[in-house]
Amino acid sequence: MALFDSDFLQKLEYLSLVSRRVFRGQLLAQRRTKQLGGGIEFADHREYTPGDDFRYLDWNVFARHGDLLLKRFQEEEDLHVYILVDASRSMALGDPPKFDYARQVAAALAYIALAELDRVAITTIAGDVRADFPLTRGKGRILALLDFLEKQKPDGTHTDLERSARVFTRRGQRRGLVIVISDLFDPAGYARGLDILRHHGHELHLVQIHDRRDADPAFKGDVELYDVETDTIERVTVTERSLKQYRKVFAEFLESVKTYCHTYGVGGARSSTEVPFDELLLRMMRAAGALA
Amino acid sequence: MSLANPMALVLLGLAAPVIGFYILKIRLRRTPVSTLLFWRKIFDEKKPRSLWQRLRHLLSLLLQLVFLALLVAAVSDPIFRWQQKQSRRVVVIVDDSAGMAATDLAPSRLEAARARALRLIEGMRHGDETAIVAASRPRVVCGATDHERTLKQALASIVQTDAPARMTAAVELARRLLSGSPKTPRIVVLTDAALDQAAELAASSDVELVALGARTGNVGITQLQARRSVVDPVGYEIMVEVENAADEPAQLRLELELGADPIDVVPLTLAPGARSVQMFEKTSAEGGRIHARLDKADALMADNDAWAVLPRRARQKVSLATPGNLFLEKVFEALPAVDLEVVKVAPETKPAKPAPAAAGAVHVYHRQTPETLPAGNVFVIDPQVSGPYWTVGEAIKQAVVAKQDRDSAYMANIRLDNVALPESRKLSFPAGARLLAETAAGDAILAAIERPGVGKVVVLGVDLDKSDLPLQTAFPILAANVLSEFGGAKGELRPALAAGSTAELDLAADLKAGESFVLHAPDGIETPIVLAPGATKATLGPLDLHGVWSVLRRSEQAAASARPAGAEFAPGDHLVVELACNIADRRETDLRAPEGITARPLESALALAVRPVWYYLLATAWLLTCWEWLLYQRRWID
Repeated sequence: MALFDSDFLQKLEYLSLVSRRVFRGQLLAQRRTKQLGGGIEFADHREYTPGDDFRYLDWNVFARHGDLLLKRFQEEEDLHVYILVDASRSMALGDPPKFDYARQVAAALAYIALAELDRVAITTIAGDVRADFPLTRGKGRILALLDFLEKQKPDGTHTDLERSARVFTRRGQRRGLVIVISDLFDPAGYARGLDILRHHGHELHLVQIHDRRDADPAFKGDVELYDVETDTIERVTVTERSLKQYRKVFAEFLESVKTYCHTYGVGGARSSTEVPFDELLLRMMRAAGALA
Repeated sequence: MSLANPMALVLLGLAAPVIGFYILKIRLRRTPVSTLLFWRKIFDEKKPRSLWQRLRHLLSLLLQLVFLALLVAAVSDPIFRWQQKQSRRVVVIVDDSAGMAATDLAPSRLEAARARALRLIEGMRHGDETAIVAASRPRVVCGATDHERTLKQALASIVQTDAPARMTAAVELARRLLSGSPKTPRIVVLTDAALDQAAELAASSDVELVALGARTGNVGITQLQARRSVVDPVGYEIMVEVENAADEPAQLRLELELGADPIDVVPLTLAPGARSVQMFEKTSAEGGRIHARLDKADALMADNDAWAVLPRRARQKVSLATPGNLFLEKVFEALPAVDLEVVKVAPETKPAKPAPAAAGAVHVYHRQTPETLPAGNVFVIDPQVSGPYWTVGEAIKQAVVAKQDRDSAYMANIRLDNVALPESRKLSFPAGARLLAETAAGDAILAAIERPGVGKVVVLGVDLDKSDLPLQTAFPILAANVLSEFGGAKGELRPALAAGSTAELDLAADLKAGESFVLHAPDGIETPIVLAPGATKATLGPLDLHGVWSVLRRSEQAAASARPAGAEFAPGDHLVVELACNIADRRETDLRAPEGITARPLESALALAVRPVWYYLLATAWLLTCWEWLLYQRRWID
């Protein structure tokens, strides 16, 4: 079955409608940038300095108080949405594969953004930046975007969020909303890479995906654990006790991601691939609405 | 300690492949995971305990080697010296009496006893010997042996009987089996303890009484008998005794059937421990099986049924030769079981010869007699001429009976002293004739004469046309008495036997060349009856099943033919006699063990210590396997 079939597109349309009606652009589109400029919505006043455009002098204040104050307006501009999809080999595991799930989530977010006339770019990352779908605008570009996603394979090396983030930020792109979709199984730790994105002024949003078997392995006994990202092997005896410990460690990992997001004000969503992607998006929207 | 099978130690060599397989590393199954980050966290924490892990791995090998060692030890069957010293000879007495069929212990008390005996057999130690004795008919089912399979087969061969337990005799037999043996003697009695000797046995030092079953109430038929009436030619009497051997009152129905015909249904209400004896007087010329049944379902159903055999009243052929007398003809017509033939003139007969077969026919001659009396029984009324056994004298004008023989069965319930007897003939009889009625002058008017081997003769010298005797009740009673005496079947009784008893039967009358006799049991099993050369009497039994046993005479041809499906007997079988057999034992009906019996529980005798060593070795090996499996499953070892 194709990854993006007609059912999928119907769901995208539904999500787009829901996002418009319920959340009124609080997640992606229609967001105001923090830059002030030539918009029409009044922001505040500042004192006139020589060289300022007279057109923005507030005549009413001058008439009443004799002060030369310049009216400042919030500049409306398109939001740049960068979606970083983890294409490391660990994303190929799972049922459904985590990478498929990540692509569906990425496609849905991109569709909603395009529908709101935002600009969207998709980048796949693993040990480095692997492929890009350049910034694009307009709903008409969705099919090209889906085609790009469909061609991507989770055949990168191990996850290296730090390196990927450095490469991504070195491009000097305009700041915007960066959505990272990954399982965050970075041997060096996920925090450093996310920090880099934050420090470059991007508004960061994290979608952490895991498979049911990542959280609760179903095997026991003498096994040869094969790390698909690093090609390393570990011979272990998995007992009930070690499984219990594993579940505890994994829960701690999820909790650490949650704490990170909370600490740095990063929007975050965590989900198992068992949860349908549209339900995850609705959950994200509700969370965003609740925060707003 | 010695080994019964030291060759088994060779099996210890199996340790080599066990160790070999352990050393060989098996290829582990590969499981791809997204990351090893978390697994490393777990297993790196354990690294300081790697020494314990190595030891733990060795535990698996150790367990397998111990398991092998235990198995080999079990197969080699070690025997300790104390075991050899303490070998025993055990006699197990299995009570197979009627009461052991009680179902308060499912499926029955006998099966429970069998299960207990089986445990005893399986618990035999090395050097032990066991014998099995059945108690209902004390007999050695299996002599003392240590061969377990033989004992089990013997135990399985014990069948439930309806006979009473003869426990004292069984215990005596067991003691005889034990006498002279150097081994420790032991008698184990597996019984329901519903015995008269239970207290005595329980107190015996050499007997372990194992009581089976609860104190269960039961209602049963403890006696059933039927016989022909002594006064009524077609009457019969049934005596039934029902006992409520329970601590609770019982309400039930007693149903009686003769063949397939219901005779009576009686509701009974019995107090705890009460006994009810019922008598039934019925009439029927037909004989057959009388079946008494209680409609109450209880723990012992076998005593809810009982049988009796009622002899059939044979029809009598009566030939009446009379010039004509309505009263006389009607009297014989009215008598039951009589086939009457009336002729005007008596036919001439040949001289009477001893002929027992002719004894069934009765000839009645009124006012006429043939010159020669026929063989069989003869009743002569008002003879006009003298005959071979009487002499006719002159007539007596007004005869009155002054003396009558009240002891004679001919005269039962008859009074002739008030009967007018005009024109009666003086009769004189030879010596040996029994004068039944005489006038005051000593003239006999009624007498009976025995003709050894030929028949009886009764002569009545009364003119029926002039006398009012035909109008009196004495006349039909006299006729009935005469026929009854001629028939010779008064009060016939074929007693129902108690289960377990034997019967002696004279088969002389039924012996025929080329034919044999067969005893047909109620459960359909047939046993040939073998007569010693020249003997005519056979001893049947013991009849240890309740129901009706049949003795059949079978020709060689009938023996070869197959019995049709559903038929009780084979075609051509001739029924010689039927014998009813009932439990008829109050002690067997009473399923309650006597109060105060402290039976020793078998469990103490079957303590674990009595089992052979190999049993424990195997049990330990089994436990070890379970433990090893558990450890492996829980991954405490690998």
